[in-house]
Amino acid sequence: MVHEFQYRAPRSLSELLALMAEHGTSAKVLAGGTDLLPNIRMGIAKPAFVVDCKRLPDADRLVFSPAEGLRMGHGVTISAVLRDRTIREKFPLLAEAAHELASHQVRNRATVAGNVVNASPCSDMALPLLCLDAVAVLTSTSGERTVSFREFFTGPKATVMKPGEFLAEIRVPASSADRKGRYAKLKRVKGHDLGIVGVMLASSPEGLRVAVSSAAPTPVLVSGIGRGLDAEAVDALVQKAIKPIDDVRCTAEYRRYMVGAYIRRLLPEVSR
Amino acid sequence: MFDQVRPEDLAYVGKDSGRIDATEKLTGEALYVSDMTVPGMLYAAVKRSPHARARIKRIDTSKALALPGVRAVVTGAELDYRLGLYVVDKYILAKGEVRHYGEAVAAVAAETYAQARRAADAIAVEYEPLPPVLHHMEALKPDAPRVHPDLGSYDHIAAVFTPKPGTNIANHTRLRKGDTEKGFAESEWVVEREYSCPSVQHVPMETHVAIAKWARGDQVEIWTSAQSPFTVRNLFCHAFKLPHNNVRVHIPYVGGGFGGKAGIGVEPLAAVLSRAAGGRAVKFQATREEEFSLLPCRSALTYRIKTGVGADGKIRAQEMTMYWDSGAYADYAVNVTRASGYSAAGPYEIPNASIDAYTIYTNKPFGTAYRGFGHVEFHWGLERHMELVAKAIGMDPLEFRRRNALRPGSITLTGERITDHTGDVVKCMDAAAKAIGYGSLTAEEKERERKTGRRIGKGVAALHKAPAMPSFTATAVIIKMNEDGSVTVNLALTDYGQGTYTSIRQIVAERLGFPLEKVKVSFECDTDKDPYDWQTVASKGLLLSGNAAILAAEDLLKNAYEVAAQVLRANVRDLAHDGKRIYLRHNPAESVDFARIAVGYAYPNGNGIGGPIIGVGRYVAQGLSNLDKATGQGNPALDWTYGAHGIVAEVDPETGEYEVLKIASVFDVGKAINPQIVRGQSIGGMVQGLGTAVCEGYIYDEKGILLNPSFTDNKIPTAKDIPAVIESAVVETPQIDGPYGARGVGEHSMISVAAALGNAIQEATGAEIVHMPLRFEDVWRALRDKTPIDNWITKSPLGSCRSAPELRNRKKDG
Amino acid sequence: MTITLTVNGVSYTRDAPENKTLLHFLREDLGLTGTKEGCGMGECGACTVFLNGRTVNSCCVLAVEADGAAIETIEGEAGPAGLSEIQKAFDRNHAVQCGFCTPGMILSVKELLKAVPKPTVEEIKEAIEGNFCRCTGYEQIVEAVLDVTGQGPKGRLDHV
Ligand SMILES: Cc1cc2nc3c(=O)[nH]c(=O)nc-3n(C[C@H](O)[C@H](O)[C@H](O)COP(=O)(O)OP(=O)(O)OC[C@H]3O[C@@H](n4cnc5c(N)ncnc54)[C@H](O)[C@@H]3O)c2cc1C
Ligand code: FES
Ligand code: FES
Repeated sequence: MVHEFQYRAPRSLSELLALMAEHGTSAKVLAGGTDLLPNIRMGIAKPAFVVDCKRLPDADRLVFSPAEGLRMGHGVTISAVLRDRTIREKFPLLAEAAHELASHQVRNRATVAGNVVNASPCSDMALPLLCLDAVAVLTSTSGERTVSFREFFTGPKATVMKPGEFLAEIRVPASSADRKGRYAKLKRVKGHDLGIVGVMLASSPEGLRVAVSSAAPTPVLVSGIGRGLDAEAVDALVQKAIKPIDDVRCTAEYRRYMVGAYIRRLLPEVSR
Repeated sequence: MFDQVRPEDLAYVGKDSGRIDATEKLTGEALYVSDMTVPGMLYAAVKRSPHARARIKRIDTSKALALPGVRAVVTGAELDYRLGLYVVDKYILAKGEVRHYGEAVAAVAAETYAQARRAADAIAVEYEPLPPVLHHMEALKPDAPRVHPDLGSYDHIAAVFTPKPGTNIANHTRLRKGDTEKGFAESEWVVEREYSCPSVQHVPMETHVAIAKWARGDQVEIWTSAQSPFTVRNLFCHAFKLPHNNVRVHIPYVGGGFGGKAGIGVEPLAAVLSRAAGGRAVKFQATREEEFSLLPCRSALTYRIKTGVGADGKIRAQEMTMYWDSGAYADYAVNVTRASGYSAAGPYEIPNASIDAYTIYTNKPFGTAYRGFGHVEFHWGLERHMELVAKAIGMDPLEFRRRNALRPGSITLTGERITDHTGDVVKCMDAAAKAIGYGSLTAEEKERERKTGRRIGKGVAALHKAPAMPSFTATAVIIKMNEDGSVTVNLALTDYGQGTYTSIRQIVAERLGFPLEKVKVSFECDTDKDPYDWQTVASKGLLLSGNAAILAAEDLLKNAYEVAAQVLRANVRDLAHDGKRIYLRHNPAESVDFARIAVGYAYPNGNGIGGPIIGVGRYVAQGLSNLDKATGQGNPALDWTYGAHGIVAEVDPETGEYEVLKIASVFDVGKAINPQIVRGQSIGGMVQGLGTAVCEGYIYDEKGILLNPSFTDNKIPTAKDIPAVIESAVVETPQIDGPYGARGVGEHSMISVAAALGNAIQEATGAEIVHMPLRFEDVWRALRDKTPIDNWITKSPLGSCRSAPELRNRKKDG
Repeated sequence: MTITLTVNGVSYTRDAPENKTLLHFLREDLGLTGTKEGCGMGECGACTVFLNGRTVNSCCVLAVEADGAAIETIEGEAGPAGLSEIQKAFDRNHAVQCGFCTPGMILSVKELLKAVPKPTVEEIKEAIEGNFCRCTGYEQIVEAVLDVTGQGPKGRLDHV
């Protein structure tokens, strides 16, 4: 690559946090690198320091307990999500979204954490995390905080994370286990493609949830939709929450239409 | 070169045989130019224009020159060489004016690529942006900016092409047959429609790359990922006014081309950098992004067709107008226009026809050859048109096609008479239709429709194409016998994946009567060592080079027989041979091994005779002529390959989403020399055709900036995108002057796929789509009668540049 | 930075610039040019290699990230006895045209067959969706995988 940077591979969290505190916005965490490295190559990202977080102990820890729910270390890859039996059984929505993300080789490398920190409006993993009330554990030298993904995304490629903060872990509460749902992703080809629009419907205790990608500056969650509403009514609620644009992938008009079409397609399956 | 031989008497021709290049490619050992380095080699990077059209006011290279590792910087100002085969209209680096987004204005050679890239970025270019002309229909307007104000002074091949100085028209191809006015007057119906498709990228997996070394004494050596070594050399020598024997071009393995590497590409750029760097070799490899906008693409087309049909369903007259968007340079596009012009009516007989095909300059990346050479684009229009006309007159589209198909005795647009051995398009159509169960749905399909709520439709589209090439296109093949009696075949037709060398090997082994293992076709072409071949394009390779290979094999045998006759003290007429020896027919025990005469025979006393045995085969296209410039009459076609595709598509009528369930194609290949290779070409082309049908295409903003120069937004088909069922079949009507009766099929597999898809979608849902590609949204819009999205040139971000929306079906009164 | 890694079982210690991708390191520093670059952006799969037992796009991995890792490339696929079974099946089924996608394609197939010995057509297509091939149209590649896993006959060209 043309851009030059220094590479660091800290062996402990404190070492990593110290590096990030020291270098602030000139440091970038390197997880799977499937967003970061293409961005450096294109000149979109120009970090002076690249801090590889994959050598931290427990980076790819993936555990479930009824007490703590699902805990995904920052290094957990999309492939690891797909291979994990507990996830397939208890959190099928995570697996369903993971299955739609990129290609096999990318999934072997890409992490769930990187996907959400990257905060693309078309993020696949954001949708199940929103539907499952997941939280991000953010750490820095000044301490740790927990942020619900409902508050996490603030704009295209923007999150609540502050310079020096590291996403250490993603937690999905045990109470979200067994939530049923379905995911539909509109693509230009059947092969790997970023979502032109993505719609996930999920059940939850307080009613139906609809999460939508690529139809607003951030992934969008509409929750608390009364049970028994028909597809048109659900769509009407969702339409109010999204703000799609025209771009080279399709028009806003079609995006809006497809959100409705997918709601109509998935609702019967989810309410069943 | 077709002799009536019973298939069972053929040892290799018509049989499957493994690819000769498989092992190197499977192990990663095959060397491509992108893998190569030359001692002392520098790396190049280019500075590219951010504007579609601008005057270059000043280029400051001082910062770049001061950077570490930089060995040469060149700009257009210091280079006065224009490149071109038909219309010599392109500088190596833009001079004075940039004419498209992404055009190279300066270039750097440095010790590493990163250094070169940094230096190129450090070059400061001051531009005065000028209003670009982006859409080819706009470019025709009298007040449109002129992309090439000096068009009148450009060299061009005047016998064939007609530029219009003072306009943006790089060429006008004109054809008149019969009397269209009379034909329309006799017609019961007249249907006029317009069709279009955008520019697309070839997407060879190996991007354009060349290494050039401009040594002292103007000796230039080039290694390049290209299709045509002699064309690279020829155009290079013309541009630099160098003797041809000063320049040597090597082509090793090539990672795909599809026409995009047919002519000259990045070689001159690497060469001028090498010269500027004092003769050190320089490598330039396009990035994927550069592949989209520095290097050429396929031209966009707007195609208007007006058809008059008699009460009997026979076409009486057809008026065809093609507007080809050549982009900023038209060297290849003029020939695309010419070839498409004389084929514009497809495989149908039109008694009264007129064709006007224009090549139009615009400020966009330029067009070149792409698999099908214009035929994919215009068959999209034509074969959608045949469908729409059939529907307008209430006839089954397949029946309408059949009724108008070219048959023995028919006269083509240029006045050529179709014969019994030209090929059989009706057979192809019928076989494609049969393969998909055209005309009705099976019980299973009906059940599937009921279950899914989706609609299934079936469409057929036919095609034809002849090689587009100069009338006197020539090639040669040399076969050299090795010391052990095996042979090595040299030719400068390249095999960049099509498998032609494997087929040539089968032809040579067949004709020599040698076991396959004794025949090697040498990879890596070298203009210093290989005999001439014009270009590897046009699906002419197997036919011309195959014939030359047969002649070379015969020549080699003749030479071997002469020596053997002396050794055996026999008359040449009394000799015969097998894979190992030449013997007396009347006394087979008397023989001499090929190995003993291969490089000269030595008598027991030491006296030698003969010398190395070599066979030379030369072949030139015969009987072809330039077309009359006013009427287009003449004989342009070496051979016609006919074919048809059938597609079964399943469409969601609510959303426009669809899936191709099945695709079948049938080509009259004359003779499938190697069935698996024919099948590979057939499937590869179909899927490439599906890509451009379904989603590929260049999208620009209103300033002419290409918005999707990457795989992120220019998707190509993946393995998941191929139909569940793919069938390919051939008809074998021997081509009398083809090797073992064969004709070309490399490009044809891609032609008409889009039209077959459009026809199937229309059959399923009624969506009447006339613009390619057929994105889900396009189908959805067509179903709702919404204005088609037209973001091929967007007006921030959406707009419309369709011409003549008023054109609609109309039924003639009375 | 000095890194040590094994490639196809051979251990190498080299200096690698921190901004060099594993792809360029393999090609330029170790001369293993079987791994190709088709986009440099993670899209096309021409650069597929095994990194610690799983396939990755080596254009999206830094060489320094591979310090201590075990890499397998196409150069390690054929054994002393000749082509591997996957390679032979590709050959038999004409699953190669220009060959530029082939090294990556073979490694993706290998990854699939490690996990799924008898994959369905759908599984095969999914496993290679990240490997673009512009030449073959994929069908003969799918057939090669079916062939090497003992499923199904070779595709054929029909004569009308
Ligand atoms: C060909 C291709 C196809 C793709 N397709 C899809 C797709 O279909 N759907 C989709 O959603 N995405 C897709 N992506 C994008 C990408 O693969 C995903 O977003 C991926 O999950 C990113 O994870 P990563 O580990 O590779 O992140 P990286 O590239 O390593 O990091 C991404 C960003 O997050 C930061 N970061 C990473 N981890 C942390 C952390 N723990 N704490 C703080 N900051 C961190 C990095 O600094 C960087 O800014 C695709 C990418 C490619 C190349
Ligand atoms: S080169 Fe790595 S994915 Fe294309
Ligand atoms: S064989 Fe050419 S890209 Fe696959």
